Amino acid sequence: MKKLSLISLAVIVVLTPFLFSCKKLTRSHAVVVWHWMTDRDEALQELARKYKEETGQEVQFQLYAPSDVYSQKVKVGAQTNSLPDIYGVLGDAQDLAHFIEAGHVENLTGSLGEGPDSWRSTFYEEAINTAYFKAGNSFNVPEGTYGIPLDVTTIPMIYNKSLFAKAGLDPQKPPQTWTEFLEAGKALKKIGVTGFVSGWAETWLIYSLVTDLAHNLMGAEKVMDTHAGKVSYTDPDWVAVFTAFEQLQKAGFVDPSLVTLGNKAAEQAFSQERSGITFNGSWAVNVYAGMNDKLDYAPFPPPQLGNKFPPCVWGGAGSVFLVNAKSEVKDKAVAFLKWLSDKKQASFMVSATRNLSAVKDVGGEGVSPVLQQFADLMKNSIHPNRFLISEDPKVQEAITKGIQSILISEKTPSKVAEEVQKAKEKSKTE
Amino acid sequence: MEAEILYPVRKWFTVERISLRLWRVVKSTIKHTILISVAISCIFPLVWMFSSALKTNATVFTDMSLIPSDPQFINFAEAWTKGKFGVYFFNSVLYTLVCVFGVLFIASLAAFAFARFQFPGKNALYYLFLITLMIPVPGAIVALYVLLIHLGLIDTRLGYMLPQINGGLALGLFILRPFFERIPKDLEDAARIDGCGRWGIYWHVAIPLAKPALAVVALFTSLAVWNEFMLAQLVLQSQSLMPLQLGLVKFWGGTLTEYPLLMAGMAISVIPIVIAYIFLQKHIIAGVTAGALKG
Repeated sequence: MKKLSLISLAVIVVLTPFLFSCKKLTRSHAVVVWHWMTDRDEALQELARKYKEETGQEVQFQLYAPSDVYSQKVKVGAQTNSLPDIYGVLGDAQDLAHFIEAGHVENLTGSLGEGPDSWRSTFYEEAINTAYFKAGNSFNVPEGTYGIPLDVTTIPMIYNKSLFAKAGLDPQKPPQTWTEFLEAGKALKKIGVTGFVSGWAETWLIYSLVTDLAHNLMGAEKVMDTHAGKVSYTDPDWVAVFTAFEQLQKAGFVDPSLVTLGNKAAEQAFSQERSGITFNGSWAVNVYAGMNDKLDYAPFPPPQLGNKFPPCVWGGAGSVFLVNAKSEVKDKAVAFLKWLSDKKQASFMVSATRNLSAVKDVGGEGVSPVLQQFADLMKNSIHPNRFLISEDPKVQEAITKGIQSILISEKTPSKVAEEVQKAKEKSKTE
Repeated sequence: MEAEILYPVRKWFTVERISLRLWRVVKSTIKHTILISVAISCIFPLVWMFSSALKTNATVFTDMSLIPSDPQFINFAEAWTKGKFGVYFFNSVLYTLVCVFGVLFIASLAAFAFARFQFPGKNALYYLFLITLMIPVPGAIVALYVLLIHLGLIDTRLGYMLPQINGGLALGLFILRPFFERIPKDLEDAARIDGCGRWGIYWHVAIPLAKPALAVVALFTSLAVWNEFMLAQLVLQSQSLMPLQLGLVKFWGGTLTEYPLLMAGMAISVIPIVIAYIFLQKHIIAGVTAGALKG
């Protein structure tokens, strides 16, 4: 017993200094940034060091990951009015709109300015517009730009050139139409590889392809009319979009576990050349480089369902930083973001992280030819954050769940169209 | 005839013995096959983790062998430095020690009071404590965050440890109370005659007798604190205060995961818990079985 007492005493004596040295940190004049980007943390810390050297202003990047934990942290921060000076909101336009409505996001329209020499003009239009709310938007958010993009992504189809050649397909000519796509998948299956793989257990990936195909088949105006409730999801064009997924399933070359596969598993399958075509984002350049640096691949726009409108690629959005409207160092936060989006810093970020920059004409060692191909696809990109009318999340869910059902032969495209329309009507009454 | 007269019992006995032995061998084989299968299924993920920790990002999905042809021991060093495990490891050890001692001390005192003292509302209070076991952490996070802000404990070690000590109390009470209830009244009386007060009985009689239960509580608390991650991200902001689990996150990006380094980091982080289990194993088995009998 004496021994136990002595051990307890020793532990208390050893630990006491640590406990009593814990005093609350007083808020300094540093600009505090909360972020979730584990792969960009080192580069951001380096930039913070450089900024302090150049300006004397301290910037603290605080990493909270993975993204679901980060989102929880930001929500708690908003509920308790303890958000940092700069942060990001992970989610769609509606999530961002909630933060703006609650007064947590500074409208940066004035700071960005207008014209060829403005801060705004340094960004790709698609990128800066992902945080822009148009006048009369469906969220009733005052018109303005509320965020500064750091980088951008595009989510195209990607094909394996070597496997295409092996299957007797032209490795320089990816499929352009949906019919060619189905034929390519069948040819790949003949050489013993899965024609198509994607992480479609993650429904946002399905929704992005649905949006691409819908824009290509019926044009942006009709898609927006559908969001507005003027066009029904039982419209033949929408049924044709859903039917494309049925054709994919019936062609028999998709990964059998497509709807239960996470994106990381799909990335493994593609990088290990077990599949010839995938649907994935530009971040995959980093992923594939780590898993198989000999992988010979290239991106291409999702195959066209129709020929009236150009092919569309989901893209332009990426990591966006917001300035806390209640921050005491708001001006310093804006000044730092301005510095961060300067070409010199943006170029450093590209070299260090091999992500596409949101800043125009930024070169760097990180821009490989294949990454540049992903960047080039941004010209015809679409993204819900730039839509005038966003679709209700519950309708989006009905679409993606419906497509999953089509892919496992549980439902027909017409049945899914009816169910989506019912969800749409329900959302209008709520 | 002579042999039958002389050895009838031996003949009967031999046949019976053989069938009995055979049955025992069959039973033992089945039992051990099941146990070995369970043991392998428990150990395999650990072996796979160590094996993956020795591979490269490129070979981790292609080389399915348990012993890689070109083991990358450097992964452990890289995981340690890149994940800043030096700082985080110290923090995790500190948090685990303080929380374990905190839970053991407070829960044992409370359990002793609930088991040996009579006071109004005793059972109601006890069940109130147990209810906290049923509240999921995310459900209480906002309230906890607000409380910690008002107490000025956000981004402090104390602010991170106190909720964890509080969180471990209910389980501690649940395990320790039955042990203290089983202490014979005579033992308490004898201690009192020897000059012990309530504190003396608790410290010199109850605690030594409850060592197996204390070991179980210590292990459960250690596991919970060592693996805790979400609360740390919510309460702490300074990287220098973060626990070991944050080091692992550095290899686990939203899009890019460095699997060999992640596995190496996990292997490092699992070692202290395995050591703790090995040291406490004897007490844990005694504690769990005693608790089971009591239950």
